[in-house]
Parts: sequence; structure tokens; C-alpha cells
Amino acid sequence: MMKKLAILVAAVALIAAPFGLKPYGIYLLSLWAVMTIAAIGLNLTLGYAGQISLAQGSFVGIGAYIAALLTTQGWPLGLAFAAAIVLCFAIGWLLGYPALRVAHHYLAFVTLSFATLVFLVLRNEEWLTKGVYGISGIPRPTLAGWSTKAPLDFYFFCLLILALVAAAAGWMIRSPWGRAFTALRENPIRASSLGVDTRRYTLMAFAIGSALGGIAGVLYAPLVQFIEPTAFALGLSLNLLLMVIVGGAGRFFGPFLGAAVSVLLPEWLRFSEGLYLMLYAVFVMLLLAFCPSGLLGLGARARKSWKPSSKSAN
Amino acid sequence: MRSFVSVVLALFAVGAAAQQTVNMPIVIELSGAGAVSGTNFRDGAVLAIDEINAKGGILGRKIVAPQSDTQSNPGISRAQVQKAIDSDPYVILGPVFSGSVKVNMVLAQQAEVPQITGAEAAEITQMGNPYIFRTSFGQQMSMPKIANYIRDGLKAKTVAVLWVNNDFGKGGRDTFTKEMAARGIKVVADVPTESGQVDFAADVVKLKGANADAIFVYTNEEESARFLREARKQGVTKPLIGETTLLGQKVIDMAGDAANGARGHVGLSADAPVPAVLAWKQKFLKRFGYVPDHNGIKGYTGVYAVKYATGKIGKFDRKLLAKTLHGLTITPKQEPGILMETTWDAHGDIDRVSFLAEVVDGKQKIVQTLPKLGK
Repeated sequence: MMKKLAILVAAVALIAAPFGLKPYGIYLLSLWAVMTIAAIGLNLTLGYAGQISLAQGSFVGIGAYIAALLTTQGWPLGLAFAAAIVLCFAIGWLLGYPALRVAHHYLAFVTLSFATLVFLVLRNEEWLTKGVYGISGIPRPTLAGWSTKAPLDFYFFCLLILALVAAAAGWMIRSPWGRAFTALRENPIRASSLGVDTRRYTLMAFAIGSALGGIAGVLYAPLVQFIEPTAFALGLSLNLLLMVIVGGAGRFFGPFLGAAVSVLLPEWLRFSEGLYLMLYAVFVMLLLAFCPSGLLGLGARARKSWKPSSKSAN
Repeated sequence: MRSFVSVVLALFAVGAAAQQTVNMPIVIELSGAGAVSGTNFRDGAVLAIDEINAKGGILGRKIVAPQSDTQSNPGISRAQVQKAIDSDPYVILGPVFSGSVKVNMVLAQQAEVPQITGAEAAEITQMGNPYIFRTSFGQQMSMPKIANYIRDGLKAKTVAVLWVNNDFGKGGRDTFTKEMAARGIKVVADVPTESGQVDFAADVVKLKGANADAIFVYTNEEESARFLREARKQGVTKPLIGETTLLGQKVIDMAGDAANGARGHVGLSADAPVPAVLAWKQKFLKRFGYVPDHNGIKGYTGVYAVKYATGKIGKFDRKLLAKTLHGLTITPKQEPGILMETTWDAHGDIDRVSFLAEVVDGKQKIVQTLPKLGK
């Protein structure tokens, strides 16, 4: 009951928030929504299924380039969503195959190579991607007469997609699939002995997580309205990894908080001028040193430390 | 009672005067790959702003210049320019990185805010944006000058090109190659390198193998220094030619002796044989404790251009400012802060004298002054 109330309050806050903000604040909130979608995807792969990936930023890039290439040619954004989901799902599935053979840091290196490969393709295949010059003039979509050109409208569009993605992810985690993912993370051998097809679920974890990265990319392109390959280099993948871990890997609301820390906190810290990136780094270091399970882990720990005392009172 | 009223009125007057400021946000690279250029630009602008404020500001209004760091990241630069626009600025100063400018110049255009940038990529002024103004040559202006030098000064028939594979390097390489073709000079080696690359051994081997009459090097500051060291180590004897960056003070400081002998074209130089520029360099050194490069001049002269044009209009009107800057020539006589006579054309591109230089004994030495293109 408390949880439902908290979700309701958060939803109302997200809808009301932009009205008191200038375009700069609305842009940051939109960026938060987009990054949250990508982080939800990585949270499925990493947090629930336990497969580390340093390539989530590449899928955001693939989605963004699909959106940019299609919409600048006059195709609707809906088609870009469909194409990005299908393509990222397929590539994610293929990327899952090495995960069947290697795990942990070995897998991290496999996905790292993939991230580098995608960056090189985006940069060097100029006939398709325009290389380092990037693609500019990406239009924002119009949905059934609703133009999302203004910052506020586009924020609500991002929020709508985020709500749909979050609902789908929430459903999936509660479904037998989600439980199979968790089983895969906790003990793959036992999962396999209980009849879970670990091979299929590993591939599925990568494919679904990657498809969500693609969806985030399709929103990123019209948000920034200019894309170039360096935006999707390793830095973004590491940042998404940070979001998942800081928020609390394997917890449904982790990516929401993690993305807020990564996107909004550096901006709030700007009052310290030259020091803001240092303060941000110190915050992340302290958080992970004292609470490796992330912000939500911190909350859970705080609750636990309260409960025994209330029990003893009984 | 009367004295009370007059005191209150006086206080109001003071309050009103204090509020009369003009907002010129600096959105610039203070961290990340562009920090060297961005910090120079920022410090140059701050120096100009403090001087102008000390003399009473622009049309009696003090300049307020909040700074924000783009982290050399186009996405973040967009957010910061949006923040600047939300604060109702008179002009925006920066950024320097071409990729960032391409992202956010559209925002400034929509808000009709003139943007004074340090970027050099050719296409920035070719997109029909009436609010973008350069503070240095675009590549389409500087590359013909370096091409003429390679043809007439070096009498080279073949040339090798080493460039950094980002929008700055690629844009320069593309323009340079075109200019070479137009002059019948053959490009015999075309070597892309990475931004942030540390080891240039293999690239230098490739360049040596090509055996061109001259080697044109077009990378950012740190890479230029690393390349020069490697070229010296492998004993490259062919002339190493650069455009502004290769001969910049930061590169010379980092490359040490290996920079000696590098030559080329400099659009802007703190060592220009112009007394006003040399005096400016000393002023900068005294204030910030380091020798500025061309980006410092960009920031400094950019602010003075805004001051002069505003004084000419006689009021603060962003649209009129943009209109006035197009086609405007400012001479040091009219505005000493401009340092050298400068003209902006209808696209926001700049024209002024430039220099051929050579690095001798760890210092940039100007060999020849090239006239303005329009003369």
C-alpha cells in the first residue's frame, strides 16, 4: 500500500515538476527520462540476470542513429521505434552468445570490444552516418496532431514512453521470466537443474536489455537534435553502468534514482563552480564504499536497522 | 522629512544603478578534452570583462559573466546554453569545440541571441545562422593560406597529411585536401589518428615511408606535442607544417626541443609582431601566471567586439547587434581592445592579417605577415 502511494506521489511530482521550470530544467528532466529507460534495460541484463555489459551506450547509439537517419528523411518516429527495437533485440541476442561461454570481467571485455566496434562503425562508415560531422536538424515528432516541438511537450512524450517501458519491465520482472532471470544470476547451475533454459534466458536478457537501450536512443536523437559518434563512446556505457549500480542493481526503482544522480546531481553541484565534478566523484566513491548495494540498498539498510528495535519494543 | 525622502530616493538610485548590468554568460570547455582551449578562451574573456567593468562597463552597465563548463561534451553544452538563454543574455560567449557549437548554435539562433564562438570548423558559418560569429579564421579561410605557403614557400610537389579523427581534424583535412588538389599538389599519405592518442610511432613510420616533400600535421594540442616528440625521435627531416595549433605556445611547452623547426600558418598568435598583442600577452601572463595561446586572444577580442558594436548602436538590442556585426570592421584606433584590425563578413566569418611562423629555440617566431584576404 505504502509503495503504491509512493509511486503515485512520484508520478504526480514528475507531471507537475516541469511547470515550475525553465527550458533548461525541462531539458535535464527529459534527459533523465531517456537515460532512465536505457538504465532500466541495463538493469534487466545486469541487475536481474547478472550479465555485465559495457555496451548499453552502443545500443542507445544504434537507436539514436536509426531515429536520426529515418526522421531526417521524413519517416515517422514510430517506424524508428519499431526498427530500433527489432535491430537492437537481434544484435543484443547475438551479443549474448559470448555470454554463454564467458562470465564476469571476461564478459565485460567482450562487450567492451563490441562498444568500440560500434563507435568505429558510426565514425568511419561516413556514407551512412556522416562520420564525425554528425547529423543535425533532427525533428521532434508530431503524434496525432500533438506537436512535441516545445520542451514541455517533448518532456511529456519522454515521460509517456518511460511509463510504458517501466510498466512493461515491472510486469516482466514479476512474470516467470523475471524469476528465471534472477535464478540465472543467483545460481545458474541450480537454475538449469530446475529446468530453466539458461541458454535462452541469457540471450533473452541481453536482447531485451539492448532493445530498451535502442528505445532510449530513439528518444535521445530528437531530444538533443544533433548526434555524433563520440556521444555513444565507452563513456556513456560506463555512465549507464554507474546509474544502475548507484541506484541499486537488481532493484526496480534503482535506475530511476541512479539516472537522477548521474544526470541531475552534477548540475545541482554547479554552485561550487570549478569543484563540481570533484564533489560528484567524492559522493559516488563514498556511496559505493559505504553502501555497495546503491541508494536503494541504503534505504533497505536503514529500514532494517529500524525494525529490530521496534520488535524488541514488542 | 525632506532629507529623509532624498535619502530614500538616493538609495533607490543606487539600487537601480546596481541592477543595470548586462548578462554575457560564458559557456566553455573547462574540463575534458577541450580544457586547454576553453580555459584560455575563458581567461581571455574574463580579462577583457574586468577591464571594461573597471572603466564603467558598456554604456554604463557592468558586465556579468556567469561561467558554465560543457565538459567538452556536446549534450552537456546544449543544456548549458539552454541555461544561459533562460537567463536572458545579451550575448553568449563560447564554446570552442565545433561539435558543441553545432549542437547549441540552433538554440541561440531560435532565441535570437548572438553567439561569439571560438570554433573553427568550416560548416558552422555555412548553415545560414545570422547569430553566429567567429573569433578566428574558419578552416575555409586558413587552409588556402597554408596551401599557398606549401606551394610557394616550400615549393612542394607532394605532401603527407596527419590529422585527428574528430570533427575539427576531419573538417580541416577535407578542406586541406581540396586546396591541395586545386594547386596540383599530390597527397601521398593520409593518416588519421585518434583524439587522445599517446603513441605515434606507427604513424611516423608511415609518414616516413611516404617520403613526401612536406608533412602537414592537424591535431589538437596534446596530440601535436606527442607527435612532434615521436617525429624527432625517429629523425624525420622533411618540413613539419602546421596550422595555428602545431605552433601554439601550449604545444611548444609540452613538446620541448622537439618543436623546434616546426613551421606553418598562424591565424592568431600571442607572439604576433604587433605591439598591442605583445602588451596583451604580458598583461595576461601577469594576471593568470601562464603564457596564453591563440584561444586567449579569441575570448579577449570577442568581448571587445561586442563592446564596440554596442557602443556604436547606443543601446542593448540583440538583433541589432547581430546586424551591426555583419560587415563591421573594427580598427585598434576605434577600439584598442580589438588588438588587430578585424572584419566580420555576412556569414559571421572573420578576416584579419595572419602570420607565417617557425618555432626557433622553443619560441614561436613570426617570419612573415600575410595581409587580410579582403585587401
